[in-house]
Amino acid sequence: MTADELTSGEDVKVDSATIEETLAELWRVEKKDHDNAVTRAALWNVVAHSATPEHHTEASEVLGKASIAVPQRTIVVRATPAGPTEMSSWISANCHLLGEGKQVCSEEISIIAGGDRVERVPPLVAALLIPDMPVAVWWLGDLPHENAAYVAALLEPADRLIVDSAAFDNPADLEIVARVAQKTMTAPADLNWIRLEEWRIATASLFDPPEMRSKLAHVRRIRILTDSMQQNFFGERVEGLLFASWILAQAGCEIERVDLEIEERQSLRRGLLRVGVTMEDGSVAYVERDLERGILVTRYDGHVIVPEGVTRAQKRTTDQLIVRELKDPSSDRLLLKVLPVSVELAKRVA
Amino acid sequence: MTVVAPVLETNPLREGLEQERVPDASCLVIFGASGDLTHRKLLPALYSLAHDGLLPSGQTIIGFARPDYTDDAFRMDIREACNKYARTRPVDEAVWENFAKGLFYVQGDFGDSAAYLRLKEKLAECDKTRGTGGRRLYYLAVPPNFFPVICEFLGGEGMVTDPERGGPYTRAIIEKPFGHDLASAKELNRVAVTTFRERQVFRIDHYLGKETVQNLMVLRFANGIFEPFWNRQYIDHVQLTVAESLGVEKRGNYFDNAGIARDIIQNHMLQLLSLTAMEPPVAFDADAVRDEKVKVLRALREFPKGNEESMAVRGQYTDGSVLGELAAGYRKEENVRPDSHTETFAALKVYIDNWRWADVPFYLRAGKRLPKRVTDISIQFRPAPYPLFKKVSGVRTQPNVLAIRIQPDEGISLKFDSKVPGPVVRTAPVTMEFRYATSFGAEPPEAYERLLLETMLGDSTLFARRDEVETAWAWLDPLLTAWAADSRLPDAYPAGTWGPDAADALLAADGRKWRRP
Repeated sequence: MTADELTSGEDVKVDSATIEETLAELWRVEKKDHDNAVTRAALWNVVAHSATPEHHTEASEVLGKASIAVPQRTIVVRATPAGPTEMSSWISANCHLLGEGKQVCSEEISIIAGGDRVERVPPLVAALLIPDMPVAVWWLGDLPHENAAYVAALLEPADRLIVDSAAFDNPADLEIVARVAQKTMTAPADLNWIRLEEWRIATASLFDPPEMRSKLAHVRRIRILTDSMQQNFFGERVEGLLFASWILAQAGCEIERVDLEIEERQSLRRGLLRVGVTMEDGSVAYVERDLERGILVTRYDGHVIVPEGVTRAQKRTTDQLIVRELKDPSSDRLLLKVLPVSVELAKRVA
Repeated sequence: MTVVAPVLETNPLREGLEQERVPDASCLVIFGASGDLTHRKLLPALYSLAHDGLLPSGQTIIGFARPDYTDDAFRMDIREACNKYARTRPVDEAVWENFAKGLFYVQGDFGDSAAYLRLKEKLAECDKTRGTGGRRLYYLAVPPNFFPVICEFLGGEGMVTDPERGGPYTRAIIEKPFGHDLASAKELNRVAVTTFRERQVFRIDHYLGKETVQNLMVLRFANGIFEPFWNRQYIDHVQLTVAESLGVEKRGNYFDNAGIARDIIQNHMLQLLSLTAMEPPVAFDADAVRDEKVKVLRALREFPKGNEESMAVRGQYTDGSVLGELAAGYRKEENVRPDSHTETFAALKVYIDNWRWADVPFYLRAGKRLPKRVTDISIQFRPAPYPLFKKVSGVRTQPNVLAIRIQPDEGISLKFDSKVPGPVVRTAPVTMEFRYATSFGAEPPEAYERLLLETMLGDSTLFARRDEVETAWAWLDPLLTAWAADSRLPDAYPAGTWGPDAADALLAADGRKWRRP
């Protein structure tokens, strides 16, 4: 195997015991052959955990794109305890041109384990992490409710656990994430929460005028209309739940005193469509998605002058959501506040 | 009984957002709205802020200038400028539409009282329709000779309010040059404070809006490893370079009356110098940071009267070539006097007479038509105290250098010696590099975006204070006076070189040489 093969993006099979040595040797040869043309870079260790070939491929593609914006050592794991006994590993590099003929490359290690070999994955992953770099574990798909020891071992070195609550099929999944936040040193991150960012920006803009801020304590009703591809699937409602939880947590409102309504509309896409926040004085703050123009429009029906506002809200791909998450070196303290509220609301809505 | 809820100081819904610091809606009036600065920098920066969700929905911008525009014509003009110069170009239709709703124009002469009445009416109207609450920002994008008349009218028409006197805020933003010398700087400051209080005045030095310049403080004071070495015990000398490959372009008129020392050294370079050399501030707030910066300026050693040459070199470019293109000499540039004595290059040896920096020279050089555009600061450390490898052939140790690249290709590198692999002991310098582009990818905001936002937020940390400006002039003035009295021409250097030989000699006399940035 040559360094050129590695930087071409092709997967190269290697012995699990010599992954690190093989990578080091290849970069040494690369340096000798091409001088300073290639730079290895990493700001994060990102471990993607999947259980299916489809999720494995998705993780590799998504993190390959994400590594352009956030250089990282990527470790993509596919673990199928119920599958045939196997353990294999592959390496490749995700490279992009920086200019002046220079390339920046991030390494990707792929591990496939099945049967009882799955237990060997956490120590192998731990050995492959670059020291002194933060570790994010991205869990693809629904959260496991069994194999607690395996999950704990995998999360042990993790600074962050990235999930996508849109894939949750049960309110108990939200509880697992909230528990990770409460009981471990791993900070949770939710791609569904990041999808809400533009909605939060737009809603916040309505409450920027000093006279509007005081109204926040008097929220009485939150009405959410959401597009749904699979009605009655719990994950479709989580974005709305997180939004409402955020308002309540930040406004300091008592959950019991606020009416919450999440209405789903059958659609070919998913995501929030319209939000109305009604205050005690009857005034209403609206945020509405304009799909065609890729914006959120805000308006306020009440006595304070709040000109109509516009917030850009282009649909973000998974790699963009991951990049957004990894760009922030500190954990999201706000999500930690919002999660327990969303667990409570989920019970109510359910 | 009606219970009035208390007004929260900040919007809790902003917590955790990148747009955490969004100012209250205000009216920003730009005097000189038809000028180059407005079109190339200010409005494109404001549009990019709106694009990124950093402006409040009621933010209002009023252009004030002599040409006869309607609001719509002004908007079209600005849209074109944003399409050309904004970081977030091309303009997004929906964002633009909303941004343009807050864009107005008032035609008038700076000395015409009727124009100020029209402006006042427009401002009152915006308070009613856009919720700007009487908050005002006046951006003086005009030559300094217009400052007095504008300030006089604003004050006279009652268009300046102050929260300390129970009104909403008014702030004035002033562009450099802050004077031509100490006397004119003092006069400008005097004029400004007849209408505004010092804390209402924001003096823009766009270098302070650059991410890498702000990172200087983070590098020094957020990391534990640098500060212990950041002193005369470990640092041999410091070099600061602000090099431009361009000539004077369309600014011949201004530059020929200013020169590189006034244009670059008095402001940008002294800001870089003071951020590099200052003591840790007691807090990260406007006055604490500026107090420390001004202490550095006060500690600058005076130029030796009658022997300025031992500390300062000036040069002027002649015909040459830059980046493969022929470049005409300075005196052949448009709007430059054919017998001009104006310096287009200056190199200074500067001492900061304080406990930390005693006898550590800071070498400053700035010039036009140098080989490339680059701004960098290099900290050159002293050699190891005992030359352990002195007698080993093949070992030639070199001093460690911490290089901070301000622009372009922003980043930081550390050079140190390492053993070359093999059976014999040989060393070679190697470099550890951090590059913004590699690590953070995204394009940083333009300096003006950051600075405009800070003025709206009322944080003056990134702006020059009156005493900073005056202290800088007080130090530089004697050198400028000596140069003005010197009938000799500045030393010639061909365009595309690193300045005259005398600049090299300035360092060679100390046994040092310029680092190639």
